[in-house]
Amino acid sequence: MKKLLSLFYTLVLLAGLSTVAKAADPIRIPVLNWSSQIVMANVMAQAFEELGYEAELVPAESATRYEAVRVGELHVAHETWESTMALPFYAAMDKGGLIDAGSHDLITFEEMGVPNWVIEEGLCPGLPSWEALKSPECAANFATPDSEGKGRWLEGPYEWHTEVMPNRLKGLGIDDLWMVKFAGTADALWAELEAAKKEGRGTIIFNWSPNFTDAAGFTFIDFPPYFEGCRLENGGTLETTGCGSPKGWLKKAAHIKFPITHTSAYKFYTKMEFTAPNIGEMANYVDNEGMTHAEAATAYIANNRDQIDLFMK
Amino acid sequence: MSPTISCSSVYKIFGNNAQTLLSESGGNVDAKKFQEAGCIVGVNNASFDVNQGEMLVVMGLSGSGKSTLLRCISRLTDATSGKILIDGEDICLMNSKQLIELRREKMGMVFQNFALLPHKTVLENIAFPLQVKGVTTENSIHKALEMVELVGLKGRENYFPRELSGGQQQRVGIARSLAVEPDIWFLDEPFSALDPLIRKEMQDEFLRLQSVLNKTIMFVTHDFDEALRLADRIAIMKDGIIEQLDKPDNIVLNPATDYVRKFTEDVPREKVLKIESIMDASDPNASGEIAVKKDDIIETVAEKILNSKDTIKVVDEKNSVVGSINPSKVIKVLFGE
Amino acid sequence: MNKNYLDIIRSSKPAQFGILLIIFLFLYHFIPQNEGNYFWRLPSLLAFIPIKLNEIIYAALYEWFPLKVYDPIFEMYEEKAAFREFTKSISKGLLFLITFVRELLLGGDKIIDIFVSDAWLKENDWMSWPALPWTAATVGAFLLGYQLGGFRLALLGGIGSLYVSIFGNWVPSIQTLSFVLITTPICFVLGLSFGIWGYLDKKVETALQPVLNVMQTMPQFAYLVPIIALFGLGDHAGSIATIVIATPPMIRNTILGLKRISPEVVEAGLMSGCTKRQLLFKVLIPTARRDILNGVNTVIMQCLAMVVIASFVGAKGLGLNLKVALNSLKIGKAAEAGFCIVLIAVILDRFTKAWANKQVDYFENLTFFERYKLLIIFGTSILIFSVVAFIANGYFDKINYLYVIPIEKGLTFAHYIDAAVDWVWDTFFYSLNSFNKFLLTQVLGPMKKAYLGMPVAATLTLTMGIAYIIGGIRTCLLVGGMMLFIAMSKYWDRALITMYMATFAVIMASLNGIIVGSIFAQTQRGSKFILSVCDFFETFPSFVYLIPVIFLFNITDTSVLIAAIVYATVPATRYTVWGLNSVPTSLHEAGTMSGVSRMQRWTNIEIPLAFPTIMLGVNQTVVFTLQMVILGALIGTEDLGQLIFGALSRAQDGPGVAITLGLFVSLMAISVDVIVRKWAEERKKALGLD
Ligand SMILES: Nc1ncnc2c1ncn2[C@@H]1O[C@H](COP(=O)(O)OP(=O)(O)O)[C@@H](O)[C@H]1O
Ligand SMILES: [Mg+2]
Repeated sequence: MKKLLSLFYTLVLLAGLSTVAKAADPIRIPVLNWSSQIVMANVMAQAFEELGYEAELVPAESATRYEAVRVGELHVAHETWESTMALPFYAAMDKGGLIDAGSHDLITFEEMGVPNWVIEEGLCPGLPSWEALKSPECAANFATPDSEGKGRWLEGPYEWHTEVMPNRLKGLGIDDLWMVKFAGTADALWAELEAAKKEGRGTIIFNWSPNFTDAAGFTFIDFPPYFEGCRLENGGTLETTGCGSPKGWLKKAAHIKFPITHTSAYKFYTKMEFTAPNIGEMANYVDNEGMTHAEAATAYIANNRDQIDLFMK
Repeated sequence: MSPTISCSSVYKIFGNNAQTLLSESGGNVDAKKFQEAGCIVGVNNASFDVNQGEMLVVMGLSGSGKSTLLRCISRLTDATSGKILIDGEDICLMNSKQLIELRREKMGMVFQNFALLPHKTVLENIAFPLQVKGVTTENSIHKALEMVELVGLKGRENYFPRELSGGQQQRVGIARSLAVEPDIWFLDEPFSALDPLIRKEMQDEFLRLQSVLNKTIMFVTHDFDEALRLADRIAIMKDGIIEQLDKPDNIVLNPATDYVRKFTEDVPREKVLKIESIMDASDPNASGEIAVKKDDIIETVAEKILNSKDTIKVVDEKNSVVGSINPSKVIKVLFGE
Repeated sequence: MNKNYLDIIRSSKPAQFGILLIIFLFLYHFIPQNEGNYFWRLPSLLAFIPIKLNEIIYAALYEWFPLKVYDPIFEMYEEKAAFREFTKSISKGLLFLITFVRELLLGGDKIIDIFVSDAWLKENDWMSWPALPWTAATVGAFLLGYQLGGFRLALLGGIGSLYVSIFGNWVPSIQTLSFVLITTPICFVLGLSFGIWGYLDKKVETALQPVLNVMQTMPQFAYLVPIIALFGLGDHAGSIATIVIATPPMIRNTILGLKRISPEVVEAGLMSGCTKRQLLFKVLIPTARRDILNGVNTVIMQCLAMVVIASFVGAKGLGLNLKVALNSLKIGKAAEAGFCIVLIAVILDRFTKAWANKQVDYFENLTFFERYKLLIIFGTSILIFSVVAFIANGYFDKINYLYVIPIEKGLTFAHYIDAAVDWVWDTFFYSLNSFNKFLLTQVLGPMKKAYLGMPVAATLTLTMGIAYIIGGIRTCLLVGGMMLFIAMSKYWDRALITMYMATFAVIMASLNGIIVGSIFAQTQRGSKFILSVCDFFETFPSFVYLIPVIFLFNITDTSVLIAAIVYATVPATRYTVWGLNSVPTSLHEAGTMSGVSRMQRWTNIEIPLAFPTIMLGVNQTVVFTLQMVILGALIGTEDLGQLIFGALSRAQDGPGVAITLGLFVSLMAISVDVIVRKWAEERKKALGLD
């Protein structure tokens, strides 16, 4: 026993001192908690391995990963949604260490909206135009016990857009009819969708597309169009802050040394631009066909060999 | 031959500034005054010797400082001042290495609440002092088995302490303290936690062991009967002071202080006194068929004496007649004047 | 006359509480609610704390003691802070250990990779440690169980491993297991060392207490960001986060156990001639074993309870799977992962206990074969199963079921759980919905308003008054200081919301626990049963029911509170059972003889006697509740938890804010703890217990 232990200690020590030359560290890719992101991480990992690198999937949190990329704990953050992640993304960039490695080939849309059945049941006649929200009868259909008789807007976590939604309600002059509730996580949003449906209660939540909820039918509300600087916190006024959300990008972030330490991987990464259908396909393998994330990635690459080859060139 | 244990002016005072208070008092310690100063007097100016093969019983009420005295001598606690010699060596001056050596080779101790290691079996508990010393597992277990047999626990080697009765646990405690074959044996109220019947049995067992082993013993008890039964000499303590240290019969016959007298008042004389103390030494040529020894305790031979009608001769160890005894004398001792 | 009243007040605690209440209500009603009024809200004089804290953290991370490190990529020297380099090397070591255990079981070449060059490894691609087939591992678990504790443990180990394997959770389970197998011994060694140090040195113990209090009560989310900053992402970071929470109970138990050793045993050790070292390792620690083992048990429980949170900072395994499953509302799948976590906890707990209690047989005289029988069987089974699996490679296409059964191919009962959730939902939805409405509008809403409408002067008077009546001036100042610290930040309103939720949940959980505990404690079997249920809920990840409660109660405070109550009922129940079980049977009998009914016996004998213990349970309930209320941020709350959780994404000032707010939560828990502990002690003294 003692001998075994001391052998073990020696090994640990050697590992600590080991200076064996390494071509490059494994590329560390964050794994979050939704299917498309995980499959994309696996696609990247397999592609990087094809390029001769080692890749490692690291469980992470959507919000904390930018700091991790910044300090080099992670090499990439490959799904960065404008509306929900722009703040930490740019905060990390400001502090130095994180670079923008381009966008995917799609326009994201992130906005308040309702599941289709809410419209079908006529819970708020006039939707998807935001004007419909002015009706007190409509608002009443969206009330919950803790909303003090007002209709409830279920926004994502506060950190996503901070004061944007409360300001928007004020800007639109409907804050006497509606109140903002912040959900804690995306999981909570999806749970609310299910719960509201069961209850037949109207629900209006923050959501985005492409997303798995597209399948069940989800309609975004048409707000006054967004323009640069319309929001209060970007210098807008109370009149203009009722504007909707911008069409957004889906960016890729990388650690500042990544282009040098893993050059051809970085090249692949910048060229890698997935489209909405691509992302849908990735999620579909897992959500509907019951594959593991790794299998889904293999299947995706097999099915889209040309695209991947193009990225690799 | 020098005494095995020799204490001179040993003080033990608990408290923060015990040392300074003691040197200020110049050895004249008043427990009350010290208490006001926040100190508790454990042992107050103890001086005595214990000889090779002798059993000194330390007797006193609870809180009188018996355990503290014992712990000073085994240096489980450091005496505040004084000199304690074990086989001529001052243990107060020993460093921890010497001390460990001393304990491993020369000392054994038995505790009131047995103090067995709960996670070890009987055998492992007994072998423990040996293993600590570095004896191989095989040898120590072998020796422990011998000890198990000595204290009559054969068949229970693999029991855990919690599976044994109090008496059995103390047997383990005794076996453990004897495993290293110490010269000096400390016993701190070893039988106090036991039921009276078991206690008697254990005392007998103890006497049997001592007759075989012949160790130098310091035995602490608060039970005067026990002290009388076992002791070569008794030290009676009160508030840290040794009030009297003498042979049992002397203590009963000539109590040195009122305190000791109060103790001895209720003690049945016949249980303490030896024939020697009541025999008629002026009659060395007494005849008669029956003889008693001069060292016999009166109680043990009373029946024999009372059953005979004549005077009875008293003999010494060499069976030569040293005096005679009249039954009437015995009656007097037994039933008073 | 006057003096008489004073005397009554002085001697009667109820009277004192009455007066306190009157003062409180008076202040509540007459202090005007306007921002300028310092009796209403204190100025945020301490607003600088999170900012300063943040600066310090960043300075430690990036500025203090800069080391010049050569960067071969940019071919220049970079300045790196020594502290972070130090923490990084810890990370490296930890990661190595975890990977080592992991690869030992799952196979791979990462460990080998550390010692050889890439090129060599590529050329020699046979150079990879083979995975242990799950079949062999099951045999191994069975044999290990047998060796440690006979047939029962063998069955536990074997069936546990079999279950995990054929339900497709083998890989994540081993990932989690390797994480726990490294973290637990670290907590054990750290806890034991600090415990011993605290035992030997009173000063150290005194200094340790507040630190341990904070570590144990700080919400885990509060220190996740700093941990990422210091240690990065990965299993090692999860391990560190776990160590923070799991070590304190180990330290506490060690100190407690060592202190409980009778001085005679120490003396017996000394008289046996022990050196200091021998005394420590052969006498003290083994004698304090019961408490130390309790500590180990807690450590194991905590490690597994932390598995999900650890996945937030990069730990792989069951926790991550659970989190991913939950995101797409696959409750059944998440629960399955949860069961595996509990199973691992139970197996580890039983195995360690059996190991620690194992006896040596000195009389056995075994041949080589007999001695190593089990090892030989294990070795043979590895060989056989590997060969079989290898041969079967040709038979299976793609997946070799004899090595690993992947998760989507394993058996599953997830759909049953989903069906059960659906059933509960369908059956109870409407009644629960109206209950929820009632609760929110009639109870929680008004309660929240009442808390928020409390002038700070009134709050402080009330808390300090209670502390004074129960614990005297020292306790009063201590509690006052802690509350003041929170009140002078700008987060007081949020703290009030946290307090309102915690109060409600603590009351409900304590009531639940006391009632449930009392019912089950009536029989020995019942006690045993309910205690194992408690074990289950303590390790079963609360995340699993955190999301489904939304189905029933919507994104409201009710959901958060229900989750908190479920979780916090555990300690209240546990301590109630302990308390009641420790009531001497002679008292039961005395009660029965004097003809009291069962109910009377419960209210007049059992509960009062068990009261001090139950209060300690309530203490734990407070801690558990606060943890869950903060975790409620995942559902959606407006209290401190929301900000703590939000701080995760705020790289700028996140760590400072998170730690400060986490500290606030700690201080709340500690305030209650201080008061309750005093109270329990007093009751204990009054009852002549202990
Ligand atoms: N460690 C200690 N600190 C302070 N006082 C002590 C300590 N140990 C013993 N005492 C005190 O010393 C006195 C003698 O105690 P002790 O020797 O244990 O008595 P005994 O063994 O005769 O019952 C008692 O008054 C006791 O309270
Ligand atoms: Mg004593």
